[in-house]
Formats: sequence, C-alpha cells, structure tokens
Amino acid sequence: MKQVIKGNHAVAQGVRLSRVEVISAYPITPQTTIVEELSEICASGKLDAKFIKVESEHSAMAAVVGSSTAGVRSFTATSSQGLLLMHEVLHWSAGAGLPIVLANVNRAVAPGWNIWADQTDSLAQRDTGWIQFYCESNQEVLDSVIMSYRLAEQIMVPVMLTYDAFFLSHTSEIVDVPEPDEADAFLPPYVPNSKLDVDHPRAFGGLISPDLYFEGRYAVHHNTLKALDVYPQVCKEFSGAFGRDYDIVEEYETEDADVIAVTAGTITSVTRIAVNSLREKGHKVGLMKLRLFRPVPTERWRQVLGKTSKVVVIDRNLTAGLGGVFASEIQAALYAMETRPSIIPVVAGLGGRDVTPEDVEGIFNYALTHDRPTQKPLFWGLKE
Amino acid sequence: MSMIKRSVLARQFGIKTWREFPPMNTSLGTMLHNQTGSWRYLKPIYEDKTPPCQNACPAGNDIEGWIKLLQNGDFKQAYWHLKREQPFPAMLGRVCFTFCEPACNRLELDEAVGIRELERFLGDQVPLSTPHPDLPDGNGKRLAVVGSGPAGMSAAYYGRLLGYDVHLFEALPVMGGVLRVGIPAYRLPRELVEAEFEGLKNMGIVMKPNTPVGDVEALAKLRNAFDYIFLATGVHLSMKLLVKGEDEGRGVLSGLALLKKVAQSEPVHLGKKTAIIGGGNTAIDCARTAVRMGCDVTVLYRRSEAEMPAHPEEVREAREEGVQFRFLAAPERIELNEDGFVTKLVCSEMRLGPPDESGRRRPEKKEGALFDIMTDTIVTAIGERPDFSYLKDAVPIENGILHPDENLQVHAALNGNAKIYAGGDIIDMPHTVVHAVAAGKKAVIAMDCDHKGKHISEVMESIAVGNGSALSFSKYMEWKPVNSVSQNLRKVVDSEKIVYDYFQKVPRTKREDPDADSRKRSFDVYSRTFTGDDAQKEAARCLHCGRCTECDNCLIFCPDMSVLYKGSDRFGYAFDYDYCKGCGICFTECPRHAISMVEEETPVPEEV
Repeated sequence: MKQVIKGNHAVAQGVRLSRVEVISAYPITPQTTIVEELSEICASGKLDAKFIKVESEHSAMAAVVGSSTAGVRSFTATSSQGLLLMHEVLHWSAGAGLPIVLANVNRAVAPGWNIWADQTDSLAQRDTGWIQFYCESNQEVLDSVIMSYRLAEQIMVPVMLTYDAFFLSHTSEIVDVPEPDEADAFLPPYVPNSKLDVDHPRAFGGLISPDLYFEGRYAVHHNTLKALDVYPQVCKEFSGAFGRDYDIVEEYETEDADVIAVTAGTITSVTRIAVNSLREKGHKVGLMKLRLFRPVPTERWRQVLGKTSKVVVIDRNLTAGLGGVFASEIQAALYAMETRPSIIPVVAGLGGRDVTPEDVEGIFNYALTHDRPTQKPLFWGLKE
Repeated sequence: MSMIKRSVLARQFGIKTWREFPPMNTSLGTMLHNQTGSWRYLKPIYEDKTPPCQNACPAGNDIEGWIKLLQNGDFKQAYWHLKREQPFPAMLGRVCFTFCEPACNRLELDEAVGIRELERFLGDQVPLSTPHPDLPDGNGKRLAVVGSGPAGMSAAYYGRLLGYDVHLFEALPVMGGVLRVGIPAYRLPRELVEAEFEGLKNMGIVMKPNTPVGDVEALAKLRNAFDYIFLATGVHLSMKLLVKGEDEGRGVLSGLALLKKVAQSEPVHLGKKTAIIGGGNTAIDCARTAVRMGCDVTVLYRRSEAEMPAHPEEVREAREEGVQFRFLAAPERIELNEDGFVTKLVCSEMRLGPPDESGRRRPEKKEGALFDIMTDTIVTAIGERPDFSYLKDAVPIENGILHPDENLQVHAALNGNAKIYAGGDIIDMPHTVVHAVAAGKKAVIAMDCDHKGKHISEVMESIAVGNGSALSFSKYMEWKPVNSVSQNLRKVVDSEKIVYDYFQKVPRTKREDPDADSRKRSFDVYSRTFTGDDAQKEAARCLHCGRCTECDNCLIFCPDMSVLYKGSDRFGYAFDYDYCKGCGICFTECPRHAISMVEEETPVPEEV
C-alpha cells in the first residue's frame, strides 16, 4: 500500500515487515523517530519484539550482539556520535559473523555540533567488516531493511544501511509499503546454525593465539566478499517480487559520457537533475550511483567507469589529510586498469550544506573544462 | 598444543581446511567445566541487617519485619511479630515519641515512614485481652514485679514468656502507673490500658493492686517469697520551685498531682487562669489537661523553645488548642491575697548564657527585669523524682536515683534470697515509655541468664541490636526472623548504603484529626487509627533497609547468571559460587544493602 512517510518511518516499517525479534537502540537526533515509531509498533503488538532500553549506543550494540549470538533477528539504529560510540562493538559483531542490521542516519560529526547530513560517520566504520549500503530515497530505505536481512543471514555478515539526515530522515515521500505476507515470502524466518544457550554455555571469541587468529580474520574477509555474489541474487529475487531493482551501482546516462559523476546518498537525485540539464545543453555527462560500498565492488566500478575518460567523485564526507573517502577508494579500485579515467575528487556539502543542481552543474563544467584537477580534492563552495 | 594437533582436532569436528575456519572461535562443547568462581577474591552473601529505625528504637523493635507482614496484609501475624520486641503496640502506637522516625532513611527521599501510626494500627487489630498464643509451662521460678507502669508491665510480659510465675504489685487501686495516672486519657484511653492488663492477666500474671511494698520489711518479705524482684516504682515526687508563696499558697499544685487526680476522677479545682511552670512532657500534659477543664493556660519556661524537652508534636498540638507559651521566664515569687489565694506570679526575664553540663544554654537572670503573670492557679512541672522511702538506706541511692549494674541488677545488702533488678524512671535513663519497656525486657533476660547459668555478657553481646543498647528478645529465644536468611543485627544500614535511584517519592499518609476546637472539649482520644488501606499504603513506603524483599535486582543484574532463584516456596536467592566471579554488581545494585561482600577465606598453605 502506498503511503506518504518519512525516511525514519520507512526504516521502522521495514523492521516491522522483517519480523525483527530484538530491538535495542538509544535515541539520537536525527534517528530518534525511528526508535519512537518502533517502540509504538512494539507496544501496539504489531511486532512481537523485545525492545531493550539502554543507556548508550555502545550498550545498544552490545545488546543486539547478545541477542544475535543467541540466534535471534536483531536490529539497531543510530547516527553520528552514536555510531562512533558503537565502533568497538561493530568490530566484534562483524568478527563474530552476526547478521545484525543497523540503520544509520548520516549526520555530521562534532565539533562543531551539527545534526545535518554528512557521511563521515559511517565511512569512519568502513574497516569494521560491516556491509554498507547508501540509500537515496525512502522507498530504497524501506526495501533495504528487508533485503539486508536476506543478505546478512545468508552470508552471516552484519549490514549497515545509511541515508542522509533530514533530506530523507525527516522528509516525506510516497513509499510503497509491502504487505506482511509479501515480505514473509521474500524473507523467511531466521534459523541460526549455532546459538548461545544458557543451559549449555559455550565460549565465544576467547583468547586465540597467533597460529589461528589469522585464519579467523581471513574467514571474516572471505564471508564479506560473498556479498558480491549473493547480493545480485537477492536483488533479482526482490525485483521479481516487488518490481523494484537495487543494483550494486546504478548507471544513468553513462554509455557515451565524457564525464561520469560518482555520488552516494541524496546528492544522487540532485545530480540526475544536473545531468538532464547538461544533456539538454549538449554536454555528454552521466552518473554512477554508488549503493554497495563494502565489500568494495571493484569489478563493477571498473566496468562502469571504464566507459569514460573522466570521473568526478562528489564526497559528502572528509578524511582530514586525505580528502573524500569515496574518491580515494575509487582511485584505488581503478589503479590496476590498463587505461583508466582521470579522477577529479570533489568534497561538497559537509554538515548538511545544500548542494543544488546548479552546484553539480558547476562541478560538471569544471570537469569538462579541466583535464586534471587544479587541487586535490576540490572543496566545492568553500568560503574564501 | 601444537599446530598439528589442533588441525587434527579441527578435522574431527568437520573442519577440513583452514579456509573453513569459522570467523569467531567458539568452543565446540559446553564450558560448564570452567568454574569462573575460582577467580573470585570477594564473595557476595545474603545478609539481612538492622535498619536505622530498629537501631534507634530503645526497645529494638523489629519495625521492618512487621511492616513487611503488614504490607502483605497479614495483620495478625504482624501484630504478634511486633509484640516480640515491644509488647504494647496499641499503647506505644499512641504515646511513643518515635525515636525511629527521625532515623528513617526515607527522610533522604521525602518524609519518614509513619511508623507510629502503623504500630497503632496493628495494636488495634487483635483484642488486647488475647493472651500470647504460645505460652510455655512454668519454670518453677517466681518473679515479683514492683510497680505496674510500662517497665513493670514489660518485665511481667517477658517474664511470663520465659516461664516465670509473675506477680505484679501496684500501690494504687488502678494498674498501669504513669500510663493510667500520668499520661492524660486524650492521649491514652483508660479502657485501652485496662485491656492491656486483661491480656497480661489472661497470660497468668497475678495482679496485686492496692499493694504498696511500703517499707524495707515488706521488701524483705518479697525477697523470701520470690526468686527475682524487679523494681520499677517510677517517679512520684514533684520538684519544688523553691519560691515564696509556693507552700502556703492556695491554688498551687504539682503537675503530677493534677494529672493523677484527673485520671482517677477525683475532684480538682483549677482557676480560670492557669500558669504551668516547666518545659517537659508533664508540663504539656498539664497544660492540655487544663485546657480541657476550661482554663486559659500559659506555659512558662526558663529557656527558649529550642531547649524544651517536650516532644515538638505535643507542643504544636498544645498551641493549636490555645495554650500560650512564655519563654525565658523564671518564677520569682507567688503573690497571694488575704485569703491565701494566688493572685499573680512574679517572674524574672531570662537570657541564654553559655552551655551548661546538659549541653543546653544556661538561662541567666536579667537583673531587675521582672514582670507579672496575673493568674489564680499555678501548676509546677519542672521535674519529678522517685520516692525511695520504702528502701530507706538498704540500697545505695545517689543523686536521687538507683544505680544498678549494666545488666540492671541492684547489689544490695538486704535480707532474703531474691536477686533484685531495677528499671524505668528510678534509674539513670530517659523518662519515656519505650525506654521503660526496654528496661523491663533487659532485666528479665538478665535474670533468665542468671537462672540458667548463662554467661551474661556473652549473651547480651550476641543479642544486641545495631550499635545501640537495645536487645533482641527474638534472638534470645531463637525465634526465626520474617526473612529466612542469615541476619547480622550489629550492622546498621544508614542512608549512604541505600540506592535511592530505585525509589520514588511518595507523600506520607496523613492521619485525619479533628480540629483543635472540637478535640479540646473533652478528654476523649481525638486522633484516629489508620484504616487497613491507609496502613498498607503507608507500609508500602518502607524502604526495607538492609532486608531482602525479593526485588530481583541481583537476579537481573548478575552478568554471570550466578544468582539463583530458590523458587516460589522458598525465600530469596542463592549464589552459584561455582561461577560467581565476585564482581560485586549485585552488592552495588541491591537497593537496600541486603547483600554483603566478604573476603574469601584464604586457603591455609599446606605444611611442607
């Protein structure tokens, strides 16, 4: 049924349809309304889940590590500082192979205190071993929750889905909310291979010596990479059931493009408008929307971006002393290509600063008129 | 273990290559053999302790215990439990000055629990004439109790519970001493006192009213006829003002005489304007009695209100009933008319000097500052002392009181065999009903130790409550406490040990009393006993300091699942010491400090 709902409520509906059994979360702007909606859904009996109240995000993550180890489908949601506080436990959950799903509302990291969109928070977790999806619309957010559980439970790796603060979290859009039986048909109940049992206690993740730790870490890496094979199947099934397709990347007007922009999150929608506008003016520009970021889909990136000679990567995030994370990862992925496009890294829109279609047109124009960037990265809109 | 051996082991569990190694190392079998309790150097134990109310009560009343029973709605069981340490809840529930309530840990949160109202409620749940349900056979020993006030009643009660053949001697025709002829009926109804004596009589205690011991010979007779004697003869002599006009003036009387006459319905005349001199409870009792006899009453006290020994609640209620107070006023002389009747009282204005030996600031006269109080009746209530004329010089008396040893035994060279003990207002202790009850209990336990040849100081040490001087009769009798867990009555749980985060503010349940105008018209008791609902509501405010309530906090918080619930038919929890690591979270999160952490016993090294 189509409804007009905010991104945060789309997450909550996705959790309901996934029949999650344990939820633990600590409220933080702009994630709070996810938790509010979920607690109401639990209280109303529409979802038979244990909602565990905690005193911090670290505990929220630890609680779902516990419930997931006990073999129960588990969910948490957070944002920014909250995600950073979870960091230690994120490593544990991925290392332990727990199929938890986490929704992160991308919000800037303090200081200065800022609650608006910025992807630095989740990109700072790229080394934790979690699968990461970047979403562009409320529909994609809802669908990603359900798809994430399918993927996570199939390969036993946790999944983080992220979307921009306010641009999605607090903006209403038309969302087609699946019926419970449709969701059930796509996402079967979770049946764990092994689980924690208090009557037969076992040791989990105890001391391990150098002669075995290495192999364990390899196993984590190996399982994460499985997503590249398994996710396309999940996607195909989802598309078959619901008619909506979410590929690892999405291409837009890339076939003959002189410049392809790479974006993640809501800047993608803005960039589509800029592409249309520039195409009307006769400029051959295109767009690659980056959806799956971990594991790194190296082959897909090469295949898409190999079609052009110039790539401009727009990063709404910043690693001080390096630049945008997406640009650096794409450069690394493309490096081994025999002929590779030149890459123009752009950092824009930090802390929720608006990036308009005119801004993106400007970025495209810069790319069209420069063979190489005059500075790396280019800070678009930085005040003098 | 070498790598090769490990790989062999891995294959046994179906792991054929290193590539099949799981992400997280997980034991393949149970870990129950790993008894993590061996890491512990401190261990938690369930140990009930003494709440501050019980510690503050001179009688060591197990307040928390009977509140718990009351809360559960078991009023009769609560009544009998209360009577273990304090046999007269109906009386003390009305007149006790509540040493417990100012000690209540709930004061840190909002207001003290209304302990006295709850005690009164329980006191009214069982007819007072009901004898104790579990009386032992006689032990063959005879106990004479001299004086039927609260100390004597208490000694008689506990004496009978221990099997003594008790005879209770009273000089007056009515039993009860200060309870009957001192405390006014509007605070303690006579019928109630009489009913308490019915109860004592029904327990087999022999009542001897109109039987003054009188003199040394009479006492010597008792010493031959009994094995033990408990003296609790109280205070009967009023201290004198020592001012001109006091002895000859018509309209001057002592407070004790006033209260005694009113209590025994004897005629007593008070003028329209009555001045009461003194600041103690007797003075307030006299003032409120005079108000009920239609007088305009002024209380004169030589210090300020802060130094007044009277109970503040009594003072407040007296004020409400129209009693005037004049502080820093000391009588100088009483002026009389030609017929000898009082016309006025001339007083000195006082000021407060440096503290005296009592710690209170000493009143000093302002030179030449005199003022008059126009009055026709003067009641003196500046203190009372015992009348030891019956003892003559047979027993050493210093400062007007007896000085028994620490176990209340009086060592006197008198004829006869019986050992003599003493308590109540005739020895050095505060003049309150509950102190008297405590003295009666202590004296009887001391006698019983003597009778049974027990080591008295060891016994007293083992049954002491908290850090005060109160004794637990239950412990002496080895009666089971309400909670069937081990108890350490010497540990007192003060407010620092309560985790207040677990408790919510709840206003104290108020007693609905009629207004002052209606209550001062008669000597009827004006205050009302709580209803059952009120009592249970107020009991629910108890924090149960130091006593387990099975709140489940330890069970919930234990990170090692080492707190075991014993099941619905058994009280409390047990620790699973095989796996308890001694982290102390249960101890920290127990809202009421019913868990203690104790050091593990250091293993004794084996001799080489």
